[in-house]
Amino acid sequence: MTQRGALIARAAPVLACIGLLALWQVASLLLKNDSFPTAVEAIRAVPAILGDKEALINILASLRRMAVGFGVAVAVSVPLGLLMGRSRQVQAFFNPLLMVIYPVPKAALMPIIMLWLGVGDIAKTLVIFLGVSLPVIYHSFEGAKAVEEKMVWSGAAMGLSAAQRLVRIVMPAALPEILTGCRTGLVLALITMITSEMIARQSGAGNILFNALDMGQYDTVFAMIIIVGAMGICLDAAFERVRARLVRWSEPQFDMPLSFS
Amino acid sequence: MIEIDRVSQVFQTSARSDHLALSDISLSVEEGAFVSILGPSGCGKSTLLYIVGGFVNPTSGIAKMKGKTITGPGPDRGPVFQEFALFPWKSVLGNVMYGPRQQGVRAVDAEAQSRALIEMVGLKGYENFYPKELSGGMKQRVALARTLAYHPEVLLMDEPFGALDAHTRTRLQNDLLNIWERDRKTVIFVTHSVDEAVFLSDKVVMMSRSPGRIRQIVDIELPRPRRRTELLLDPRYQKFVVDIERMFDDDDEAGPGA
Ligand SMILES: Nc1ncnc2c1ncn2[C@@H]1O[C@H](COP(=O)(O)OP(=O)(O)OP(=O)(O)O)[C@@H](O)[C@H]1O
Ligand SMILES: [Mg+2]
Repeated sequence: MTQRGALIARAAPVLACIGLLALWQVASLLLKNDSFPTAVEAIRAVPAILGDKEALINILASLRRMAVGFGVAVAVSVPLGLLMGRSRQVQAFFNPLLMVIYPVPKAALMPIIMLWLGVGDIAKTLVIFLGVSLPVIYHSFEGAKAVEEKMVWSGAAMGLSAAQRLVRIVMPAALPEILTGCRTGLVLALITMITSEMIARQSGAGNILFNALDMGQYDTVFAMIIIVGAMGICLDAAFERVRARLVRWSEPQFDMPLSFS
Repeated sequence: MIEIDRVSQVFQTSARSDHLALSDISLSVEEGAFVSILGPSGCGKSTLLYIVGGFVNPTSGIAKMKGKTITGPGPDRGPVFQEFALFPWKSVLGNVMYGPRQQGVRAVDAEAQSRALIEMVGLKGYENFYPKELSGGMKQRVALARTLAYHPEVLLMDEPFGALDAHTRTRLQNDLLNIWERDRKTVIFVTHSVDEAVFLSDKVVMMSRSPGRIRQIVDIELPRPRRRTELLLDPRYQKFVVDIERMFDDDDEAGPGA
């Protein structure tokens, strides 16, 4: 029974993907629109992109910017969020600032940032950084706020300094929440990566996609969408695996995986 | 060892603007004494313990330890919280080892001591379990072991046996008495149980509610070492229990806030 359940849970995401592709195939056959190639045509175009050195360099450049933006954002946002969660003053200082930044689409800042920093790596990485920061700050903040006071007190009684308590009690206690923020951040990193490259065309996966769109190579456009989508799914699945490992201590045990990874 | 001098505690609450949780508490606890604090729920027992622990600054009055005003927590005072407050990301062993490791005890030594303590509280075989995998009573025992592990001079115990079954409770009471008789730690022990307070203590501090005040301090002049089975038959023990219970009954008749 549980074995069958596990098998179904494992097969479900694959079945969903196949279903989606089938739907696409049928829809495009029915619509017979030039700008809407069939799923098979799009998939056929994938190897051509992945086999092209130029394209690969572009995609790798995208991934590098994404990794740097994500990494720096996490390194800055987690401590900031934790501090905000533990200190009223820090919270009072940063809260208004974040409230203003929060609703602004980060890609909308791209033109201004480009004006200041040019169209190169720095501008695009900065946009990714901004996109990732907010959810990570928010979740770290919420996680730190929710840490049971007596746990921190226990650490204080053992002689931990305020800084040690933040790093060695608040951070691990808030880790499940922090990682939830990071997971959202990772997906946002991918999204801002593509949008930044849409605005600042020069290199990257987004550049390939939008150039192909300009030239009417719709197979390539959709192939790129598949590639980016697959990258997102793989990154998310890999992250989810790491996350589940790190917070095994906090989660109820299911004999069936509940996530789609 | 511990001097509490005219301590009052006012809390800002959302319902009432000011709430007087402790009113003018003075109490002195001698070195090596076992003192219980007994009182109805909400009378400020935990708050008093937090003040001695240095986790809460009293609104007025001062608390001193060995003549020095308490300004913050320190490893000389070891709390065992009502809520356990175990570190959920650490195993049972990791929790118990945390204090000694923080104090710079070598990992091998800390582990050996911690394993012995875990065995003492009856959790041998659970060393690698995480807190979420333990029952309430087991968590409570881990919390006790975790605090004992860093050898505080004063133990601040907030209803540490509240969640235990009668059998385990009795066993841990005996273990605690044994540790206490061996090390002569100073213990401040909060409890709801008159029985438990009389059995364990040199002194029982009776508190009344709203605002929390000390109602009376009863010296429990019973010989030590105490054996529970003998005490239960001892008329002097029975008299202490009955007297204390009567005093609380009188309080209830006089109504709250009296
Ligand atoms: N942080 C706080 N803010 C506001 N009021 C508080 C706070 N902590 C405690 N109180 C109030 O102070 C009073 C004493 O609380 P305390 O927790 O010390 O009681 P207690 O004697 O330990 O009760 P119990 O036996 O149920 O644990 C209560 O009326 C409570 O509502
Ligand atoms: Mg209490």
